[in-house]
Amino acid sequence: MKTRFLFPYWFRYLGLACFLVHIPVMLLFKEHHDMDNAAPGLFSGSHVFFIFTTLMVTIGLFLFAFSKQKIEDEQIMQLRRDSLQWAVYFNYVVLIATLIFTEHMEISHIMQLNMWTLLLFFILRFQWVIFRLNWSAKKGD
Amino acid sequence: MKNNIRVERAIKNITQADLAEAVNVSRQTINTIESNKYVPSTVLALKIARVFGKPLEEIFTLEDAD
Repeated sequence: MKTRFLFPYWFRYLGLACFLVHIPVMLLFKEHHDMDNAAPGLFSGSHVFFIFTTLMVTIGLFLFAFSKQKIEDEQIMQLRRDSLQWAVYFNYVVLIATLIFTEHMEISHIMQLNMWTLLLFFILRFQWVIFRLNWSAKKGD
Repeated sequence: MKNNIRVERAIKNITQADLAEAVNVSRQTINTIESNKYVPSTVLALKIARVFGKPLEEIFTLEDAD
């Protein structure tokens, strides 16, 4: 089965590493820098830090979400498409609810979270259906 | 859509894993096709029929609800 626009299987581990690496970096930086009183401006310390951690998480989730499975076949492709559609729907419901029910939250903050929630919902749903598929196959033996 | 892959496999004495390997899909996919949870594409259905050396209609049949 030919699959287009997907990363090789081992990219999922690269994605996972990107995601995990940002945690100690963030903790270390927060300990040594006073984030609230940091100098503002393009490419200042806090800005670079923000880009680094945000990009790390985003790229990590992205690679994990769109890397190939060990065995790619048409059913996996269908599950992937279903999960993507499900994730987009769910994401927009959550986004709209957040916009309606939060008062004092900055819109840029919501948008930043929203950048991750779509990928996160997709990953959770896709991994869950694959888990269920494997489980029912095991039970069917 | 119904299918009698399980019966055909028994006749040919091959496992789900053998069939999966022959048509280049995962064993889970063969399992879900056998239990009528997943309808294969035409290409995959034809490949499965070729493994058993039978015409498509002898392995896959339409149901009234289809």
